[in-house]
Amino acid sequence: MRYLFSLMLCLLLSATPSLAEDPAEARELIESKIDAVMMLLQDKSLDKAGRDVQIIALVAPIFDYPTMAKLSLGKKHWPQLNPGKQSAFSDLFIDRLQQSFLEKLDIYTDEKVLYGEPLVEGRKVHVPTTLVSKDSRIEMLYKMYRTAEGWKVYDVEISGVSVIQTYRSQFDGVLSNGTIDDLLEKLKTDGAFTITGPDETGS
Amino acid sequence: MGKIPRGSVKSLLFLIALTAFLSGCGVHHSRNDDPVNDTVQKEALAAQPFEDEFDLEDEFEDAASAEIIDPLGGYNRVMTKVNDKVYFWLLKPTARGYRAVAPEGARLAVGRFFRNLLMPVRFTNNLLQLKPKQASIELARFVFNSTVGILGFFDPAAKHCDLQPYPEDFGQTLGYYGVGSGFHIVLPLLGPSNLRDTIGLIPDHFLNPISYVEGSDVRLALRAYKQVNQTSLHIGEYESMKKDAVDLYPFLRDSYEQHRNKQIEE
Repeated sequence: MRYLFSLMLCLLLSATPSLAEDPAEARELIESKIDAVMMLLQDKSLDKAGRDVQIIALVAPIFDYPTMAKLSLGKKHWPQLNPGKQSAFSDLFIDRLQQSFLEKLDIYTDEKVLYGEPLVEGRKVHVPTTLVSKDSRIEMLYKMYRTAEGWKVYDVEISGVSVIQTYRSQFDGVLSNGTIDDLLEKLKTDGAFTITGPDETGS
Repeated sequence: MGKIPRGSVKSLLFLIALTAFLSGCGVHHSRNDDPVNDTVQKEALAAQPFEDEFDLEDEFEDAASAEIIDPLGGYNRVMTKVNDKVYFWLLKPTARGYRAVAPEGARLAVGRFFRNLLMPVRFTNNLLQLKPKQASIELARFVFNSTVGILGFFDPAAKHCDLQPYPEDFGQTLGYYGVGSGFHIVLPLLGPSNLRDTIGLIPDHFLNPISYVEGSDVRLALRAYKQVNQTSLHIGEYESMKKDAVDLYPFLRDSYEQHRNKQIEE
């Protein structure tokens, strides 16, 4: 009986026009976005600023930025903030996240991107990708969950290092010794807390 | 050099053929052929959506609860600063100068040569972790790349057969057998590490052919050259990573530990 029920449910699901529940859909979504980003990255006729704006606009629909901002502070800190501080934090954090993502794509992608089979983890889906460069391969894992508007990324892991987890530990560190204003100040100044050398630029 | 017995050559060739067959030099089967499992998956996914965003939070560690044991914290911070200075003031300028004179193709080939040389480390640790398939791929890569790939300067195994290296070291082997990471240690020049991985450097040192080169100054020069060559191919990565840090030392520490846990898991 139970089996019959799940069979019916399956038929019902496969009959629905929206395939948003299908993990393969999550992979296709990532694949189409990253491929489009690659095209932009390889297009030498675009200037960097214009190109970055286009990339951000392209990937924005699949990233759940507000959730990422909340998760980076967590239950412990987020609810303590008033709505004004919450949105100030979100704006700064999202901006940082986007800049960092753009830079990582730019640095690590010079040949191609490989896509692995999506892994279902409860109600979440992990889409593994590999950025192939001339002498190395970087694993980039997109962690997605289902929303009303389809699959959305809530975390990215680069070589096993979770972006959200790393920010959480850091923000928790700042907030346990200081206030939200200290944190906002640090987010405003890029790399404010890090040591500066004679030459900090990329190339 | 002594004569290699015929039998061992034969079995080696067989091993290579077997490896190429197993890893399917081109053919891959990764389709999902399990309709029942698929149904279960879809059913699970179709279950109630997340109540709110914090339902996603379970998988993340609560930084405060996961109190990190860091007895060397003070020293580690200082050494992180020292290594940072060494990178910006010494390593990076040297690597940039080298990059300006050596074409990228040559630097990539040198990188491949050194990687090929470190095969005993990967091979042995794959075996110790009971990963015979990966170990035989490492062996096949070494034989193929040292000959057809001219002493490892080229990597035809990866290029033509998609035989990728499987980096494993003794720290990972210890982790595989359940040894915990121990406290975090920032090593001079080498950067973030922990007690387990630092101990792991000792056996790996003896598996590294460079350790057997005559003359300590020659060994030092080789290691320095390897590092400069490697850095020349990755200028900008550390800089970019640093931008994600609010506080550099804990950032590098946590990233290192997460990265190692992932490597051990694989």
